[in-house]
Amino acid sequence: MTYNLFIYIIIAVAAVLAVTAGKMLTSAIMLAVASIALSLLLFNFNAPWAAVFELSVCAGLITVLFISAVSLVKKEDESLKESRGKFLLLPFLAAAAFIVFSITLTPWFETLSGHVKYPAGEFKVGEIIWKHRATDLLGQLTILAAAVFVIKSVFAKRSEQ
Amino acid sequence: MTTELLSYSIIPLLSALAIPFLGRTNRKISEIIANVTLLAGLANLAYIIFHPMNRNSDYAVFSFDGLTITMLFTIYMVALCCVFFASASHMVKAEKNAFYPLIMISVSAMSSMVLARDYFTLYIFMEALAVTSFSLIAGEEGKGGIEGAIKYILLTFPASALILIGIAIMLMSGGTINFDMINSSPSTGNLAALAFITLGFAIKAGLFPFHFWTPDAYQGAPSAVSAYLAGVVTKISGIYALVKICMTIRLFGEPAKPVAFALLLAGVLTLIFGAIAALMQKDMKRMLAFSSISQMGYIAAGAATLTPVGIIGAILHIFNHATFKTSLFLNSAAIEKSAGTTDMRKMGGLEKNMPYTSWTSIIALFSTAGVPPLSGFWSKLLIIVALWVSGFKLAAVLALVFSILTLAYFMMMQKKVFFGKPREELKDVREASAYMLAPAFLMSLIIVLSGIFFPYVFEFLGKTL
Amino acid sequence: MTSTFSMDWLFAALIFFIGAYCMAVSRNLIKQLIGLEIISKAALIALISAGAFSGNTNLAQALIITVILVEAVIVATGLALLVKNYRLNGSIDIKKLDNLRG
Repeated sequence: MTYNLFIYIIIAVAAVLAVTAGKMLTSAIMLAVASIALSLLLFNFNAPWAAVFELSVCAGLITVLFISAVSLVKKEDESLKESRGKFLLLPFLAAAAFIVFSITLTPWFETLSGHVKYPAGEFKVGEIIWKHRATDLLGQLTILAAAVFVIKSVFAKRSEQ
Repeated sequence: MTTELLSYSIIPLLSALAIPFLGRTNRKISEIIANVTLLAGLANLAYIIFHPMNRNSDYAVFSFDGLTITMLFTIYMVALCCVFFASASHMVKAEKNAFYPLIMISVSAMSSMVLARDYFTLYIFMEALAVTSFSLIAGEEGKGGIEGAIKYILLTFPASALILIGIAIMLMSGGTINFDMINSSPSTGNLAALAFITLGFAIKAGLFPFHFWTPDAYQGAPSAVSAYLAGVVTKISGIYALVKICMTIRLFGEPAKPVAFALLLAGVLTLIFGAIAALMQKDMKRMLAFSSISQMGYIAAGAATLTPVGIIGAILHIFNHATFKTSLFLNSAAIEKSAGTTDMRKMGGLEKNMPYTSWTSIIALFSTAGVPPLSGFWSKLLIIVALWVSGFKLAAVLALVFSILTLAYFMMMQKKVFFGKPREELKDVREASAYMLAPAFLMSLIIVLSGIFFPYVFEFLGKTL
Repeated sequence: MTSTFSMDWLFAALIFFIGAYCMAVSRNLIKQLIGLEIISKAALIALISAGAFSGNTNLAQALIITVILVEAVIVATGLALLVKNYRLNGSIDIKKLDNLRG
């Protein structure tokens, strides 16, 4: 439990740093740190497959994508001010709400956990993916095909210009 | 997932993957493949619906319900009209070998959403649909499209995160995530899960506090695409799921009332706001977009009554909305092609030059406003009756009043665009070609026929619900 | 495990809020996408916590793998649109996206 708390604090702090960082590069790297911490959390929840995917895709691929996008649009990097004025009170309110909720909502979560319903049997991950959730694979195929054609249609203009 | 009708989602996907290879040398081929695939699907569905054996024996062959088959029919119909219009009008400037595959993939994703029988399948196909549709919005060279697309991304993906959180709660409190599971155990956890999922889909459907992305997306998109988006895409990805949820929580009884009441309130506010905002628009496409928002309010309010009549009314209204809104958007596209603008201040007296467009849009707008023999009247009547009977009398009165306001703003549009004195600069505007008129004619025919033969339609839905 | 459960959900809510705050305040499109990513991290935490708590970890893993793929596709396509927007408008400022008015 202490270990989980420690990891949660790392994720939250990394997320806050990603939001408040002045440079976009720092933001992207902080996001990667949050991803790595999340994958440690997934390992701790005894979900190694999901953790490996999180580590390789979210912490690896997505960070690379973000960094390349940042380097493409680097010129006006720091000139953009954030419009924090309107939302100045929001973080403090959120912090207060978090503290209050952590005291008051814990019993509610206990009642919610009273409704828990256990599954009929224990299956392996591969079994679930290929037998019980085979339509998800069709969904993954659909979304990958969609992504290919999106990239194709977005960057089709380049050759004409 | 219902596997019997799975071919309706796999065949468009295969066709999408085949188009870039077969249409590499000749661009015409990709148009033909897209049209033929959709036409074949539509003919097949019509065979299933109208074949007497299927109708009389209570669907012994297929185990689907009326909602599924109606939605599949709607998807294929609207997609066929829009693809046919796009290939006839040459208005799509985007890369053809990317445009037609994207349409086919979104047809496939929508069919899968309709066939889905658990929330996670619904979620993943909805994401695939969102990815294709924001690329379709951004399709054209102008700046408007990309702006609409970015607004669409930034609002819909937080909504899908909310849906995921709802799925997580359901996984915990229900053990599985099937639609059917939830009927057996109406616990607090399931209700919390459904509240999250409803909120997410309400954002996706563009209900009142979250409506602001819809007009931008519709206005910025290329015209043939806006017809497609307004006709089916945003309906399937948002309001269809809401109707499905309402069908599910109907069986909850008393505990489901707060969620349903919140949905009803959002629906009524949406229909009021959409109608008032539509009155003030200057651009034809933007006005149609606000009118579409207003109709979403009717559907949500009807479904949220949780009565069978209200839900049948909502399903019928989704179907009717697809017919009349596609017709209106395609007409606006034809006007844009002929007159070069969609700004209503610069138009007037187009009736003489474009008589057929004018007539089809009159039929469509009468159906939207709910003028008696047309199909829109019946679905609105069902929704208003359901609202009145289940005790929301004020909501019923408001729905009636704003239905009249709908007629008012559409008559204003018709007057500004088609009637009045012809303008000098629009003297030599010509009627759109017969191919471009064909989809709107088909839609008008469907509006009239399904209005006249309404008892059969009602029986069809009522028997299978 | 019971005490971890409420902690999971509190932190999921907190992280969701951080992402939403990021999307609300920043004018930079890349920051907005980063906010989206943070929000979906919160959704992943909710999923794994629910799965682990109800003894359904493997189902939750299967779902998470799919969600991660969806996330990667969204970020890739979103960044592609961003780069196209940068080429057209020469900016990634969200405040400059106001061409559409009725």
